[in-house]
Amino acid sequence: MTTMRKLLLTLAIAAALHGQRFYPDDPLLVEPPPLDAGKPARRRLSDWYDLFWHILATPGEKQPKSGPPIRAKNVNTLGDPMDGAWYVRRHYWRRMPLEELQRGAGGTAPPVFPWTVVAAKGEGITPGFTVIDATKRRFFIKLDPVTNPEMMTAAEVISSRFFHALGYHVADEYIVEFHPRDLVIQDRLTFINQHGIERPFTRRNLTELLLKAPRLPDGRYRCVASLALEGQPLGPFRWFGTRSDDPNDTVPHEHRRELRGAHVFFAWLDHDDSRAINTLDTLVTRNGKTFIRHHLLDFGSTLGSGSDKPNSPRSGAYHFSWRESAIQMATLGLAVPYWAKARYPRYPSIGLFESKVFDPEKWLPEYPNPALLNRLPDDEFWAAKQVMHFTGDEIRAIVRTGRLSDPQAEEYLVRCLIERRDKIGRAYFRKVLPLDRFHVHNGELVFEDLAATHGMPSPAPYEIVWRAFDNRRDQPGETLGRGARIPPAPGEYLMAEISSPARPRQTVRVWLRGRTVVGVEYGW
Amino acid sequence: MLALLLLASTALPAQEMTREALLQQERQQRAVQLKPERTSRWEERIRLLNEKRIPQRLSYGYNGLRAKLGGMITQGGFGIGPEYFREDLFDGRLESQISWQISTRAYQRGILRLRSRNLAGGRIEAEMLSMHHYYPKIQYYGPGPDSRKSGRSNFLLEDNSLDFSLGLSPIRSVLLGPSTGWLWINVGPGRDRRFASADAQFPPSDVPGIDRQTSFYRYGAFFRVNTLDNPAGPRAGGFYLFQYNRYDDRRYSAYGFNLLEADLRQYIPFYNQRRVIALRARTLLTDTRAGESVPFYLQPWLGGGDDLRGFRPFRFRDRNSLLFNAEYRWEIFAGLDMALFADAGKVFPRRGQLNFSRLEKSGGFGFRANVRNRTFLRIDFGFSREGFQAWFKFNDIFPSRPLGTSSTQPYQ
Repeated sequence: MTTMRKLLLTLAIAAALHGQRFYPDDPLLVEPPPLDAGKPARRRLSDWYDLFWHILATPGEKQPKSGPPIRAKNVNTLGDPMDGAWYVRRHYWRRMPLEELQRGAGGTAPPVFPWTVVAAKGEGITPGFTVIDATKRRFFIKLDPVTNPEMMTAAEVISSRFFHALGYHVADEYIVEFHPRDLVIQDRLTFINQHGIERPFTRRNLTELLLKAPRLPDGRYRCVASLALEGQPLGPFRWFGTRSDDPNDTVPHEHRRELRGAHVFFAWLDHDDSRAINTLDTLVTRNGKTFIRHHLLDFGSTLGSGSDKPNSPRSGAYHFSWRESAIQMATLGLAVPYWAKARYPRYPSIGLFESKVFDPEKWLPEYPNPALLNRLPDDEFWAAKQVMHFTGDEIRAIVRTGRLSDPQAEEYLVRCLIERRDKIGRAYFRKVLPLDRFHVHNGELVFEDLAATHGMPSPAPYEIVWRAFDNRRDQPGETLGRGARIPPAPGEYLMAEISSPARPRQTVRVWLRGRTVVGVEYGW
Repeated sequence: MLALLLLASTALPAQEMTREALLQQERQQRAVQLKPERTSRWEERIRLLNEKRIPQRLSYGYNGLRAKLGGMITQGGFGIGPEYFREDLFDGRLESQISWQISTRAYQRGILRLRSRNLAGGRIEAEMLSMHHYYPKIQYYGPGPDSRKSGRSNFLLEDNSLDFSLGLSPIRSVLLGPSTGWLWINVGPGRDRRFASADAQFPPSDVPGIDRQTSFYRYGAFFRVNTLDNPAGPRAGGFYLFQYNRYDDRRYSAYGFNLLEADLRQYIPFYNQRRVIALRARTLLTDTRAGESVPFYLQPWLGGGDDLRGFRPFRFRDRNSLLFNAEYRWEIFAGLDMALFADAGKVFPRRGQLNFSRLEKSGGFGFRANVRNRTFLRIDFGFSREGFQAWFKFNDIFPSRPLGTSSTQPYQ
């Protein structure tokens, strides 16, 4: 075949495919097998550069100011990200038993003593080090600040369980108590002290490091042990663009649903430190092929914790914004931001976390995150329905993994999470018709009204209009009928347009191929 | 060509294509365009700066030897010089500092300090502090509250001191203890030729000590309650200090005096500490025995970036002083506060004048840049009946000072 003929054929196929909405294998629930990623190099980002870059010039492709918005690009025809290197559909799609929720990404193999310290950090306020346990596995050890026993370790473990259930790749983490005598220091181990000088790491340095952590009455220390992620670390992922050395990273990150929707999860759990530094790509090998898997990391600054201190009361606001700064200067501080009015009970093991002032629509991370900023109402609904799916008992079960010794603190945390969850449901179930789980039953289109399910104001009743659908041209055709009963189809596809007189601007379009729901799209 | 494409688009059975194939095709196309990940040159530089801990290394220097920048007295210019600083001596129980600086205005300062760390579980604080100052252009406007702005003169002050203090902390937040030391002072003609020298402008009867050099033995006691949340950038808590010190004139027995200091500070936070009202009341009261007078260079003064911010540095000087500061601070963004402030104070010759009459007043606004609960830059614009002053300071408005006899030496 000549080059010209190849070109013509390619163009012809492209033209033929242009406009086609569904393919025979839609909806695709799992990403196609990844292409081999070869040997990408480790990427090192500057945390400071990342911070100022995002504050001053928020990178990435933004939503257009006018015209149709850019919807999430990595979703299947049902609107869900496919299971793969970024995300796995978990709790919402298959209710996980309490034990499974509590296990998180692993949860069955805590580190075994003795631990050999193989790396330690001498700077910073939060003490931490790396150990190899008796089974030769590498764990990263982090301890609580003296002022707030249990706070950071509980936040880390609880949030990692939530994010795992919400579908992200996270580390396998454990709360462990160890005694200094359980630790062995690797021969000739050095560390960089607080002045940037490399020094031998001795037992005395270890003792000094542990002085920064609360000691239990029996002489042990409580820590969180994070199992090193599978694969070779490649550095953090950015919340925009793609990795130029990854063949499978085809969708700009600011247009990925699980990253846009993360805004809702972050707000729920007060994960305001959404910088690239809290993510990690690893190069994983499967069946002789390598591919890059993307993880969320470091949840020590979630819930009421700020890792080395209670979370800042600014939580829920940018570090800096021109508009807010101008308002504060002009009003001499009399315009009090909503978050500053929060009241926090004194629970040292919780830090600063509350639910009364919390407003999911006002909540912001510490800096403008391109993916979070690009979220649309359907991204928010996709995330909110998952948050709402957690029952009180499930939330309580996950909070128990934080092993808070104060039952009142634990109950407070549970109550806050439930109240924040409900605020999220009320906020985002309002922005699109809160309908999901579409399927066909006895010749009728059936769906779940999530607002009604969760006892929230529902826009029901709904009207359903059936139309023919030309899949090749992605165009609806003539009206075939009204109501839940599916009319006879003139072609392979049918489209149902669901609306509610209570919210005239909001619609849900559902496509059927035969008696199978193959597509869902929310309008607002 | 167009006709061919249109024909093809209608003729080809589109359903033969699958979503999976389409996605794989997209990946294949990308696979042939892969290139190594690169970060920008600036990002790489900033990363290396942080990763190699350059700021920490510069700050710590080589085995404790480093450059000491800034920290001179107001109007002393920008100081620079070598410093040897270690906090890991004797297994971290001793902190040492030896430094010498010269400034752009030819001021000089030397410090030798040894300080205990974590003695008796933090219940004991011991310090030895020796200082040398060569300050050739200290401003002097004459004695008393009625000194005129146009009466500006200057004098040279050169001193050496050696002090020891011991602090005991019977309960948390409380520190009390004795202190003792020696102070040798040389006062001479000011080196700033734009203004008259103080000795030429004022007679010795008005400014005691201007014509005679002496040295002092000093001793006293202090009592401090400190409940501040962050000493270097407090937003809540209180700081209450009472000190009494006796200065004995070792040469003439003419310039000895007693000095009583009360410094009360309170921070009232609201809206989760994003708004703070900071208050301070401070008085320095001197007392002399018969035949003694307080040398002018050790008299309390007011005026400058740390007290009456609408007045020039060292504007008012007399045997006693009274000062009130009030600030309302509010957060502009994380790391920057703004402040509205009001200052009032006076100097006065007799302790019976310790009252609220004839207070000098100033007001203004400013900015406080904070990093990790520490105020590292303060910019204040003060206004008073004598005009406008701008201040750039690297401390909180109520800076912490050493305790004991060394703290009552006004020139730090």
